Amino acid sequence: MEEKMQLSEREQRKILFRLLSYTKPHKKMISIAFVLLLLTTIGDIFLPYLVKIFIDDYLTPGKLEFQPLLILGSIYMGIQIVKAVLMFFQFVKFQEIALYIIQQLRIDVFSKVQSLGLKYFDKTPAGSIVSRVTNDTEAIKDMFVTVIATFIQSGFLLTGIFIAMFILNVKLALFCVIIIPILLFVMNLYRKLSSRFYLDMRERLSQLNAKLAESLSGMSIIQVFRQEKRLRQEFGDINEQHYKAGMKNIKIDGLLLRPAIDLIYIFALIIVLSYFGITSFQHSVEIGVIYAFINYLDRFFEPVNQMMMRLSLYQQAIVAGSRVFRLLDEEELAPVQKDEETIAIQQGRIEFKNLSFSYDGKRDVLKNISFTATPGETVALVGHTGSGKSSIINLMMRFYEYERGEILIDGESIRHFTKPELREKMGLVLQDPFLFYGTVKDNIRLHNERLTDEEVKEAARFVQAHTFIDRLEDSFDHKVVERGATFSSGQRQLIAFARTIAANPKILVLDEATANIDTETEEAIQTALAKMRKGRTTIAIAHRLSTIQDADLILVLHQGEIVERGTHQELLAFGGLYHKMFLLQNGAVERLEDVVNG
Amino acid sequence: MKVFLELGWFFKQEKKAYISGVFLLLIVALLQLVPPKVIGIIADHINEGTITKAMLVEWVIVLVGVGIAMYVLRYYWRIMIFGSSVKLSKILRNRLYQHFTNMSPAFYQKSRVGDLMAHATNDLSAIQQTAGAGVLTLVDSLSTGGFVIIAMAFTISWKLTLICLIPMPFMAMLTSWFGTMLHKSFYKAQEAFSSLNDKTQESISGIKVIKTFGQEQEDIEDFRKQSEDVVQKNIVVAKIDSLYDPTISIITGISFFLSIAFGAKYVLNDELSIGELISFTTYLGLLIWPMLAFGWLFNIVERGRASYDRVATLLREKVEITDHDKALDTLPYGDIQYQIAEFTYPGDSQPLLNDIFLSLNAGETLGIVGKTGSGKTTLLKLLIREFEGYQGEILFGGQKLQDYKLEKLREAIGYVPQDHFLFSATVAENIAFTDPTATSEEIEHAAKLANIHDDILQFTDGYQTIVGERGVSLSGGQKQRISIARALLMNPEVLVLDDSLSAVDAKTEEAILSSLRQNRKGKTTIITSHRLSAIQHANLIIVLENGQVIERGTHEDLMELDEWYKEMYVHQQLEELVEHGGH
Repeated sequence: MEEKMQLSEREQRKILFRLLSYTKPHKKMISIAFVLLLLTTIGDIFLPYLVKIFIDDYLTPGKLEFQPLLILGSIYMGIQIVKAVLMFFQFVKFQEIALYIIQQLRIDVFSKVQSLGLKYFDKTPAGSIVSRVTNDTEAIKDMFVTVIATFIQSGFLLTGIFIAMFILNVKLALFCVIIIPILLFVMNLYRKLSSRFYLDMRERLSQLNAKLAESLSGMSIIQVFRQEKRLRQEFGDINEQHYKAGMKNIKIDGLLLRPAIDLIYIFALIIVLSYFGITSFQHSVEIGVIYAFINYLDRFFEPVNQMMMRLSLYQQAIVAGSRVFRLLDEEELAPVQKDEETIAIQQGRIEFKNLSFSYDGKRDVLKNISFTATPGETVALVGHTGSGKSSIINLMMRFYEYERGEILIDGESIRHFTKPELREKMGLVLQDPFLFYGTVKDNIRLHNERLTDEEVKEAARFVQAHTFIDRLEDSFDHKVVERGATFSSGQRQLIAFARTIAANPKILVLDEATANIDTETEEAIQTALAKMRKGRTTIAIAHRLSTIQDADLILVLHQGEIVERGTHQELLAFGGLYHKMFLLQNGAVERLEDVVNG
Repeated sequence: MKVFLELGWFFKQEKKAYISGVFLLLIVALLQLVPPKVIGIIADHINEGTITKAMLVEWVIVLVGVGIAMYVLRYYWRIMIFGSSVKLSKILRNRLYQHFTNMSPAFYQKSRVGDLMAHATNDLSAIQQTAGAGVLTLVDSLSTGGFVIIAMAFTISWKLTLICLIPMPFMAMLTSWFGTMLHKSFYKAQEAFSSLNDKTQESISGIKVIKTFGQEQEDIEDFRKQSEDVVQKNIVVAKIDSLYDPTISIITGISFFLSIAFGAKYVLNDELSIGELISFTTYLGLLIWPMLAFGWLFNIVERGRASYDRVATLLREKVEITDHDKALDTLPYGDIQYQIAEFTYPGDSQPLLNDIFLSLNAGETLGIVGKTGSGKTTLLKLLIREFEGYQGEILFGGQKLQDYKLEKLREAIGYVPQDHFLFSATVAENIAFTDPTATSEEIEHAAKLANIHDDILQFTDGYQTIVGERGVSLSGGQKQRISIARALLMNPEVLVLDDSLSAVDAKTEEAILSSLRQNRKGKTTIITSHRLSAIQHANLIIVLENGQVIERGTHEDLMELDEWYKEMYVHQQLEELVEHGGH
C-alpha cells in the first residue's frame, strides 16, 4: 500500500499548511515559547557585544579598573547562565508543543478509523491502518520537533545576528548580506537534489526490506526449487542499487552540506577581514568590532548547518502527512442512523423482508431473505461455509449498509434507532471472541464503568464462567495477554458470553464457535447458551446442529438463499439438506452409506 | 572499543580507503588551524597599524587556498569513510541473506521473521554507524582536539590553554552521561510507542467487538490515555535532549570567560597580543565539536558492539543440511523406498514417524491420507531433505537421498506445498520460478495442466498481473493451482502434492488429476490429501495414524477392508452432497 508518491510543490505546501493548522489550539504555549526564544536570542547576540565593549573600552586603552570589570564580568556570566536556563525551557516548550500537536493528530486519525465502516477494513490491510495512526504521525512528529523548531530557532538567531551586525557596522553588514543569497541557493539546490536522491534511497531500502521479508517467509519454496543462487543474485542487485543510492547521498551531502557551508564561512571571513584591513588604511579600527563580527560569523553558520541537515526529514513528513490526510478524508463511513427521534426497542421482534445484499456490488451473497423472529424466540441459521449466515448477522449489527429489502425491529426499520439504543439492546457474541489486553474483569465490563464488580461477577456466574475464572491466579483480576492466547477457545467464548450478559441485551445474536472446544467447556457453553436465550429474541448461527434442536425456527441457507425452514423435527422429516447435515454430524457409517447411495 | 578490533577484517579489506580517509581527516584538522591564526595576525596588524595591501592580499590568498583545500578534502574523506561504512552494511547484508538461504527449516521454526528482519535492518545500521561515524568521531575528536590544543599551547600561550581547558572535560563527561540517559529514556519512549502501536493493532483487529458494544468513544478515550503516556515519555526524552545545548553553552561560556579574563591579564603584561587573544577564542570554538564527539563516541561504539555481536552470532549458526564430498552429480531416477524406523523433530520428545516401510515403483502414484498431525507432510519433507536425522534410510533409484547432491535431488522433485506461497511478482514469473528463461508457451502449458490458464486470462493484466503479498489477492484455489503450475513447469521426475487441492472444487480437482495422469505417464506422483477423491486412483494408498501406517492398498482394497478409509470415504461423499445443496 506504500506506493511511491510524487507530490507537486503546491500539494506539498497545502499539506504543510494543513499540518501547521494543528498549532492553533496551542497559541498560548507557542507565545511563551517565542518569548523565551526571543530572550535567548537576545542573550546570544549580546554576549559578543559585551566582549567588544571590554576589548575596546578597557583592554585596548589598558585601563583595567576592578569595579567596572567585576560588573562587566558578572553581567557576562549572569547572561550566560540565564540564557542557558531559558534555552533549556525554550527547547522543552517547543518539543512539548510538537508532541501535543502530534497527539491530537493521532487521536483524530484514530477516531476517524473508529468511525469508518467495515467495508474500509475489508479493503485495507490492518497493518497499513496501524501505520497511518502510529508510524506516519511519528514521521510528522520528527518534522515538528526538529525541522520546524530548528527553523524557527535558527531564523531568530540569524535575524538577531544581522541586527547586531547592522548596529556595529552598517557597511560591513551590507557586505555580509551577500552571503544570504548564496546560502539560499545552496540550500535550495540541496533540497531539490536531496529530496530526489533521499527518496530514491528510501525507496531502495524499502524494496530491500520487502525482498528480505518475502524471502524469509518463502524460504522453503526458494530452497525446494533450488533458487537460492538466483535470489541471492537478485537480492545482491537490489543491495547494490541501495548502496549506489547511499553513495549518491553521501556525495550530495559532501558537496552541499557542512563542507560547502564551511567554505562559505571562509569567504565571509575574507570579506570581513578585507573590509577591516582596507578601512584601516584610512583610519583606525576598533579591534573589539573585529572580534564581535568574527564571533557572530562563527555563530551564524551552525544554525544554517542544522537547518540543512533537517531538510530530508521535511520531505518524509510531507509524504507521511499526505497519507494521513488521505485517511482523514476517507469517505467509507460506517452506516449512519437516521435518529431524529429516540425510539426504544420494546419487545425485540425481528423481521427480515426480501433482503438482498452484495459486498462487492457484483455477486449477491444474500438473495431475498425473509423471516420473522417473534419476541423471546430463537431462530437458528445453518448452512455450509459461504452460505450467507454471517452476512445476515453483519447486516443486523449494522456493520454494512444494505440497499435492497428491509430489516425491522418492532416494526421499525433498523435504520431508525439510535446507535446506542441498538448497541445496548442487541448483544452479539462473535465466533472468535476477541479478548483485549487487560484483566478478565476489564474484558467482561469493557469500558462500561457503570457496571459494578458485583454485576461483572454476577454475569460470569450466570454463564458459569466463574468456575474457571475462580481457578485463575488473581481470579477476576487475572491478566489477559494479547488476544487472550492463554485461554482455550471455549474459555474465551465463556468470557464473551459474560460480556454480553453483563450488557443485558433484549436481542441476542450468536455466532457459535467452530473451533474445537473440550467437552467440559462444551457442556458449560451449552448450559450457558440455554440460560442466555431465555426471554430474549435470539438469532443464532449454529455449526453443531445439536445446539439448536430446540430452536423455534431453523433456516437452512445455501448460496445466499433460504432453501429449507422449519423446526428440527419438521426438517428431519423432510429429509433434505438439513437431514444430511444432521447425519453427517451424528450418523453412523451405515446410515451415511444409505443416504449416499440412495 | 573492542568492536573496532572485531571489524578489523573489514578495515584491513578497505585499508586503502580508511588510511587515505584518516589521512585526509588529519590534514583537514591541521588546515582548520589556519583561519583562526590568520584572524589573529591580521587583527594584530590592524591594531598596530602595520597592515599593508600586499600582506592583506597574501593572507586572503592563503585563506582561499585553505578554504578550497578543506572543501575538497572534506568531500573526499566522507566518500572514503562513510562510503566504506555503507559498503560494510552492503557486504554484511549480502552475507546475512546468503546465510538465510542456507539455513534449513529447523532454523526458521525457532526464529521469528520479525527478529531476523531486525538484525538485517537495525543492527546493520548500528554497525554502519560504528564503521562510519564511529571512526570519524574517534579520529576527528583525537586529531582536531589534539591539534587545536597543541596550536593553542605552543603558538599562543600554554598557561592560558591550561586554564581554559579546565571546564572542557566536564563537557565530555556530561555529554556521555546525557547520552546514556537519553538512550534509556528513549528506550522507554519507544516502548510506550510500541504499546500504542499494539493498542492500535488490537483496536483494528477487534473493531467488530468495539462496534458491537458501541464502545468507540471509550476506546478513543483509552487511546488518548495511551498516547498521553507516549507524550509524557517523550517529554522526558525532550528534557534530556534539551540539556545538551545549554550545558555546552555554559561550559564554553566559562571557558571563554576564563580565556578573556586571564587573556586580558597576559595582554596587559605583554605576554600576549590582542590578535592572539582573538585567535585563541576562535580556537576555543573549534574545541567544542571534538569534546562533544568524544561523548558521542562511547554511545555509538556501545550500540555498534551489541549489534555486531548479534549479527556475528547469527552468522555463526551452523548450516545443517549439506552435501557430502562424494555426492553424486546426477539426477536421481527410479523407485522410491522409505525404510524409516523412527523420526523425531529436533526439540520434540515424541517420535513423529514410526516404522514407515514402503516402496513405490517409478511411474506410479502414491496416495497418503490420515488425520491432521498424522505425519503426512513430514513424510514428504524427509523426501525433499528439509529435515534429516531419522533412523533408517530413504532410497531413490537404489541410492540413499544423501548420496545425491541436494541440488540434483531437488531438481528431480516438483513440490507443491500445503501453504501456497507466491512471490510479489507477475503470475508468469511465479510459474517460471524455477526457470526464468521459460518461454510463454511453456508457462501457459503448465498453467493449462494446472487448470488455471482460463482464470489467469480473466485477470486484468493476464499473465503479467502482479500477485503475492503486494499484488492482487487471489482465492486459495487460484493460489494452489498457480503453485501446481510452478511445480509442473519443471516437468519433474517426482511430483509431490501436499494437500494442494484442498481449496479447489471437486470438478476442478478431477480435471487437474486427469490432465496429470495423461501428461505424466511414466513419472512418479505422491499426493497427500484430506479429500480421498484426490488419491482414489493411486497405485498405492497408505493411511497414517500417529506416524504409523494403519492401512495400505488400493482404493478397492481399502473399501473392502471397511475401516477408517471407508468410513471417511462415505462421510466425505455426504459432505460433498451437502456442499451442493443436497443434490
